[in-house]
Amino acid sequence: MSQKLRIYLTGVGGQGTLTATTLLTRIILDQNLPVVAGEIHGMAQRGGVVESTILIGGWQSPSIQLGEVDILLGFEPLETLRGLAYLRTGGAVFSSTEFTPPPSVSAGKAVLPPMESIQKSVAEVAEKAWFFPIKTIGLQAGSQQSGNTALIAAACASGLIPVSIEALEAGIRKYMPAKLVEVNLKAVALGVEALHTTGKH
Amino acid sequence: MNHPLLGQAGERHLLLGNEAIVRGALEAGVNMVACYPGTPSSEVPDTLNKLRACQRFTLEYSVNEKVALEVGGGAALAGALTLVTMKHVGVNVAADPLLTMTYTGLPGGLVLLSADDPGCHASQNEQDNRYYARFASMPCFEPANPQEAKDMTKAALLLARETQQPVLLRTTTRINHMRGPVTFGPLGEPAPIVPFSRNVRRFVPVPATARARHPMLLQHMEDMRVIAEKSPFNTTAGNAKVGVIASGVSRAYLHDVLMAHGWEGKVRVLELGMTWPLPEQKIELFMRSVHALLVLEEGEPLVEAELRCLAQKQGLPLAIHGKHDPLTRLGEYSTTKIAEALGAILDEKVENACGLHCEELPQRPPNLCAGCAHRSAFYAVRQIFGDDAMYSSDIGCYTLGVLPPLSGADFAFCMGSSISSGSGFAHVSGKPVVAFIGDSTFFHSGLTGLANAVFNRHNLLVVILDNGTTAMTGHQPNPGVSAEVLGEQAAHLDIEAIVKSMGVARVEKVRGYNQKALQRTLEELKGQNGVRVLLVEEPCVLFARRTLKKARTQVAFVAEQGEAAEKCLATFACQAFCKNAEGVAVDEELCAGCMVCMQLSPAFKARKRGTE
Repeated sequence: MSQKLRIYLTGVGGQGTLTATTLLTRIILDQNLPVVAGEIHGMAQRGGVVESTILIGGWQSPSIQLGEVDILLGFEPLETLRGLAYLRTGGAVFSSTEFTPPPSVSAGKAVLPPMESIQKSVAEVAEKAWFFPIKTIGLQAGSQQSGNTALIAAACASGLIPVSIEALEAGIRKYMPAKLVEVNLKAVALGVEALHTTGKH
Repeated sequence: MNHPLLGQAGERHLLLGNEAIVRGALEAGVNMVACYPGTPSSEVPDTLNKLRACQRFTLEYSVNEKVALEVGGGAALAGALTLVTMKHVGVNVAADPLLTMTYTGLPGGLVLLSADDPGCHASQNEQDNRYYARFASMPCFEPANPQEAKDMTKAALLLARETQQPVLLRTTTRINHMRGPVTFGPLGEPAPIVPFSRNVRRFVPVPATARARHPMLLQHMEDMRVIAEKSPFNTTAGNAKVGVIASGVSRAYLHDVLMAHGWEGKVRVLELGMTWPLPEQKIELFMRSVHALLVLEEGEPLVEAELRCLAQKQGLPLAIHGKHDPLTRLGEYSTTKIAEALGAILDEKVENACGLHCEELPQRPPNLCAGCAHRSAFYAVRQIFGDDAMYSSDIGCYTLGVLPPLSGADFAFCMGSSISSGSGFAHVSGKPVVAFIGDSTFFHSGLTGLANAVFNRHNLLVVILDNGTTAMTGHQPNPGVSAEVLGEQAAHLDIEAIVKSMGVARVEKVRGYNQKALQRTLEELKGQNGVRVLLVEEPCVLFARRTLKKARTQVAFVAEQGEAAEKCLATFACQAFCKNAEGVAVDEELCAGCMVCMQLSPAFKARKRGTE
C-alpha cells in the first residue's frame, strides 16, 4: 500500500483553486498513485469559498473531516485560517499572504485578522508552514492566476507531496493550454525559489 | 474530432463524476440527450455540448425539465436511446410525464439522471429522489465513484433499451463533483433506432388502457427484482456477525472507515449499487448471516424501512440500526459519522479529531459580481419602493439580491414562482409586490405565471432581469440568448414581444446600467395598477467578457473621499469597492467598468483602464 496523504485546498471563487486541484490530481494519477479528488463550490463562482480535496493512497471518498488533513494549500490567507480546522496536529501549511477581502471587510464592517496572528494560529497546529505572496509571484511570472502554480510548486519542492518538479513541469506541458505553459513554468521556478528563500515558520 | 472522452477502450483518465456519465452514455451509444441545467448536474450536458462535433448524438438544452423529459420521452418513443439530465428539484417539474411514461414504456430506452444535493450545497432543499424510483416504478442505479458513474450509466441505458422502460440514475453532489480514475470500455456505435409501431392500447393512456398497463408495470418491477438479485453492482464481502448494508456515497465512506480503523475483518458488507427494486433474496440471506445490521444511506430511511419490513415478514431476530444520531436524515454522511455509528455497534472506541477552531472569522458568502446589472436593478428598485413593497424572488444569480444592503428578496419557492406566488401574496396582503425573475427562469416557468397573472387580473410589478444567458449554472443557452451567440443550433425568442402578446398592458424596457432610466421608469410603474413588466436588459458581466468578448475599457476610481463615497459603499456595495485607510477604493482588477457608481455618487469618476 502506498503512502496515504490527504491534501486540502482552499481559496476564493474565480481564483483558480479548482483548476489547480485538477492539474495536481492528474499529475498524481500519472505517477500511478491511487488518487481521488473532490470539490465543493455550490454558488461560489460568485466570490464565495471554494474548497477541494486530493486524497492519495487508496481512499475512495473525496471528503476530509476536521483534523484529518496532512497538507493544507491556502490560496488566500483568510481561507487558510478558516480551513485550519481541517489540519491535523503536525500537518503542513503552504499559504498565500495576500488577502482577497470578503464583502463585510470591503464594507468596513469587519476587519481581517493580521497576517501575524494567522501565522501564529497556523504554528499552533502545523509542524511546518510556508507563506508566500502568491499574487505578486504570479504577476512576476506573467499572470496573477499562475501564483497558484507557484504555491503548488513550493509544496512539491518541499518533498511533502509525491510529485517531483520535473513531473509537475511535464504535467503543465501536457494538461495546460499551450498559451499558458510558459507563464506557469516560470511560476514553478519562482515557487521553488520562494520555498528555498522564504524562512519556514 | 479529438477529445479525451472519445478515447479507446483500456485508456484510463481522471474524470469528474459528470464527465464519467458522459463517457458511459457514449459507450452505450446514446442517440439523444435533453436537459435543463442545474447544479450538480450541469457538467453532463455542458461536456456533451463540447463533443457535439463528433456527431454521435443530438443534444438539446430544453426550456425546463418537464419539457426536457417530454422531448426525451418523444425521442425514445420514436426509438432513440435517450438520456435526460437535471438536478433533483427539476424532477418535481418533470414528475407529470415521468409517472405516466413508466406506464407506456419507451421503446428506444430512456435514462433519467437525477442529481441530488444532500446538504443543499447549491439548492433550495435536500429532497431524496430515490422516492421517485418507487413512486414512478423504475429501476434505480446509484454510483459511488466516477468509474461506477461511467459503468452504471452504460448499464442503465442498456437496461432501458432492453426492457423498453425508463431507468433512474441517481447521483449526489459528492459523486457528480468528485474526480477519480476511470478505465474506458469500447466506445459504442450510436444505437439503432427502434421503429415505432402504432399501438394506442399502450401509448395512449386513457383510463381503460392505463388501467391495463398498471399491472404490467408492477410485473416489470418484479422482473427487475430478478435483475437486481444478479446485478454485478450488488455485492457481498467479508465474514463477520456484524453486517452493514450501504448504498450511494456511503459505500465510499464505509470503505475509508474500514481502512482507516483496520476494521476490515470485523464486518460483513452488502453494497447496493442497483438500489431499486431491492434484491430481497440476497438481502434476506445476508440478514440471516449476521446478528446486527447497520444501514447506511444518506437522506430518507428508505432502504432501512424496507429491511425492517423484510425482517418482520421473515421473522428475523437481528438488531437493525439505521437513522439514529449521528446518522440522521439531515445533510450528508461522512467518514466520522459512520465511524461513530459503526464503532458503537462493534464496541470499538472511536476518537475523531476535531482540529483547531478559530474565533469568528468574517464570512465569505457568494455575492453578485462587480459590474452585475442585477445589483444596479435591485438598487434602483429599493430606491423607489424601499421597505414598502414585498419582494418576490426566484431561482438564479439574483436570489443573491437577498443580501444587504440590496435586500431584494422576501420569499421564494422554486423556478418561476416569483410571478405566481407574488400574485397570490399581493392579492391577500394588499401590499405592492415586486417580482424578480431572470430570462432563463422566465422561459422555464415564468411564462405560465405571467399568463395567469394577466388572466386573473393580478396586481404586481414583474422585473425581468434579462442578462442574455443562464448565468448561475454556467452560461448555458436559453431562448433569450442572442441569435449571434446561439448560431445555427437554436432560435432566439424576444421576451418583450412575448410579454406584450400575453396582454400585459404596461411593458417598459431599460438598460441595466442606466440608473436614471431605471429609477424614472420604476417611479412611473409604481403609480400604476395591474400587471406591469419592466424588462431590464444588460448582458451578464462574465458572459460579456468571456463569450461576447467585450473589452473592459474604463475603470472607476474615487475622485473625492468623504460622505458621498462612503454612502455609495454602504448602499450599493459593489464587489470591487473596498474600505481602506484613505476611505473607499475601487479594485481595478475587479471593476468591470459599468460606471453605475459614477451615476449614483459624485465621488466616483471614470478613467481609461491602465492609466493612473
